[in-house]
Amino acid sequence: MRKAVEIINLVKKFGNFVAVDNLSLDIYEGEIFGLLGPNGSGKTTTLLTIATVYKPTSGDVRVFGYSVVRDGDMVRKLVGMAFQEPKALGIDKPYDLLMWHARMVGYSAGDAKKVVREVMDSLGLWEHRDKYFYQLSGGTRKKVEIAKVLIQRPRVAIFDEPTAQVDVISKHVLWDAIKELRKEGSTIIISTNDMFEAERVCERIAIIYRGRLRAVGTVQELKDSMPYGDVIELSVAGKDIDVSKVLEILNSFGRVSVNGSTFMVYVNRGEEKAIEIVDALRRRGITISRIMVKEPTLDDVFFYITGAKLKEE
Amino acid sequence: MEITNIDKVFLIAKRDLDRFWQSKQWLAGQIAMNLADIFIFALIFRGIVRRDLIPDYLKFMTPGAVALATFVAAFSIGREVGMEIRRNTVEYLLTLPVSRQNLVLGRVLGGMLRGLIYQLVFLVLASIIDSPPTLVQLPVLVATSVLLTMSMSSLAIAVSSISRDFNIQATFRALTYYLLFFFSNVFYTKQVLALRFPHPLPEIISITPISIAADIYRWCFNYYQQLDPQNLVLLAIWSLALTLLASATYLRNLTKR
Repeated sequence: MRKAVEIINLVKKFGNFVAVDNLSLDIYEGEIFGLLGPNGSGKTTTLLTIATVYKPTSGDVRVFGYSVVRDGDMVRKLVGMAFQEPKALGIDKPYDLLMWHARMVGYSAGDAKKVVREVMDSLGLWEHRDKYFYQLSGGTRKKVEIAKVLIQRPRVAIFDEPTAQVDVISKHVLWDAIKELRKEGSTIIISTNDMFEAERVCERIAIIYRGRLRAVGTVQELKDSMPYGDVIELSVAGKDIDVSKVLEILNSFGRVSVNGSTFMVYVNRGEEKAIEIVDALRRRGITISRIMVKEPTLDDVFFYITGAKLKEE
Repeated sequence: MEITNIDKVFLIAKRDLDRFWQSKQWLAGQIAMNLADIFIFALIFRGIVRRDLIPDYLKFMTPGAVALATFVAAFSIGREVGMEIRRNTVEYLLTLPVSRQNLVLGRVLGGMLRGLIYQLVFLVLASIIDSPPTLVQLPVLVATSVLLTMSMSSLAIAVSSISRDFNIQATFRALTYYLLFFFSNVFYTKQVLALRFPHPLPEIISITPISIAADIYRWCFNYYQQLDPQNLVLLAIWSLALTLLASATYLRNLTKR
């Protein structure tokens, strides 16, 4: 697979503060890649470096082979970014703002009108087109910010916390729009501290904490990397249960805890192990009345990897 | 049709121009102030000032007011630039597919256009109060306006980008504004200044960009009979130096992060 973005030993310091600490990461063409980490972990700094707003203190970022240090003009032709805080002044109006953006990213006046209308309609922004920015709700402002990238359709589309301050229904609209953008050929980079968003939208995730890369992989790979992260919870049928017999069998699969007639087995790859457990118990004549597999959440994974909670900082 | 780099420079300038017209209250206040300079200040002082030094104060003051109005309008670009830096909206501009140099050029052009369009009404007034420029004077008037707006726009942008702190921005902008405003010959002739200020202050005041522009405008509107060609050269040098220095400062401030 072709690398869309290559982050090479990136260091970004502000005075003595190290915002990004020797980060190396590859993002492949056509994927939806998530940067997951709490506030202040270096996600936005990394994104702003990819978008050529910040210069690396050392290291480099390459976008389709073009260096952000040496080929900034070329990189800006390939990248579009929706900011965490919408970038507009209070006296701006959404339609004017988006029309200007469309022209700046290369649309002719006629095409700009068409694409702006299309995107505004799809995000439910048309009715707000002539309002001043200061009159818009936080969620609507955010949609205007995201509309810029949807209009631009860049090769690499960056969304910095795209659904922060957005209501649940609008979140789904935005996620669908982002996925649609990927279908049209864009590589998507999303920064988020929302594990649900990361799990629902991103195909691969990098966990960043205190400026450093802690883990990278698909959601499943990250969950599987957590030893005994899956929990198989089962109850055994019958009145006179031989607990020691059940424990003897279950102990061969992983650590077990008992709560009354409910057994909890801590394993990796829970779904596969659950089938094996059912077989093993049946062979010894034990009937299971209830069984369920619980996967760890990304929050659990994050806690396991960093020792911190995602929403803590 | 492909959008060229020049188109993008003009789009950036147009954005700044649109924002200028959106600041209606500021505009109304500014126009009222510039008109008051001419129709209240100049009319009252016409009867007070020594006629041997300034024979007709209204006619003397009006071309000066044109220079002042042009300077103020071009300088107003600094407010938006400062606001963008304080609120970080400048980050958005930095991600757009346009080179840093063209971004700076677009901003300078935006300030220039503000000054050039805003001055139109005052040019008409000066043509009525003094007398309209001849075909020979017209190109000089246009060149003076371009040079003045270019240098003042660049200066405002550079001064506004030196800090993200509003107080520092506002202090430096006000300081630059008042230095250029007060140390000019818009309100007084060189002879009057020589009576009040020690040498070499009057000489220095007479070679500031606004003073030079005011003197050229006075010739363009036939208050002065002679144009000192040195003034044109001096204004061109001022403009070029200020524009280059200020653009470099803005560019450095944009890209230092």
